[in-house]
Amino acid sequence: MRDLTRKLFDPIGGKAIEREVEEELRFHLEMLTEQHLQQAATPVEARAFALRRFGDVEQVTNQCVEISKRMRPFARALKSFLILIFLAGIFVRIFGTELHVDRVGQMLITVAVMGRLFLYVRGLKPARFRPKSDTTSHLMLNSTAKTPTSLFEADNL
Amino acid sequence: MANDRTDLMQGTLELLILKTLSHDSMHGYGIAQRIHQSVDNLLKIEDGSLYPALYRMEERGWIGSEWGVSENNRRAKFYKLTRAGRKRLDAECANWDRISRAVTKILQTA
Repeated sequence: MRDLTRKLFDPIGGKAIEREVEEELRFHLEMLTEQHLQQAATPVEARAFALRRFGDVEQVTNQCVEISKRMRPFARALKSFLILIFLAGIFVRIFGTELHVDRVGQMLITVAVMGRLFLYVRGLKPARFRPKSDTTSHLMLNSTAKTPTSLFEADNL
Repeated sequence: MANDRTDLMQGTLELLILKTLSHDSMHGYGIAQRIHQSVDNLLKIEDGSLYPALYRMEERGWIGSEWGVSENNRRAKFYKLTRAGRKRLDAECANWDRISRAVTKILQTA
């Protein structure tokens, strides 16, 4: 029952997805921090190293959450169901001869459109409206690197 | 500094991830470490950029994921190659080989 209520109010499972993504990324950042701590860095230095090597945490989180939401089977099923309702509404409107049948078709179409709109709005993230980074790829040839430690510290030079 | 770097082709990161996962299932941090060790300072890779790539690859069915316990007894998400991913890796390797041979040929003749 609790599961059903959660799915009704949060059909895509957005909160659970966010928690899962954050846990995965936190693990990575903590491992990076520990790795640098073992190289005799202070905790502050180690954390700064981890963040520098990782990149934009918020942007990565938002991208992962967005992709993950698309993958959820319940969300996919709900979207397919809304498409079916929409098509049924159109079918009823075209072939329904009586006025009350026509209204049922109209209602189905409205429910489908509103449902889809609801899912779209819930999936929106402010990050989408942010301008893109000036680099198109996070994977680059590193022609300036001379020592292993300069691999991730080139931005600070 | 930005001028000294060259963006690599789209799909290169996916190819590196597919190849890394072809031996073993790994968590994101492990994949990043393995790639850093393998490329030996020739490429600059932001670790964070692996994750959207991993999620996209999972969406396409090339890799699967499950939560497990890491080598230091912490909860971590492990990724493994699927059959579709293995096929994709073979196709991408062949494609990469074709492109690199073509570019090398042009550079030698031009």
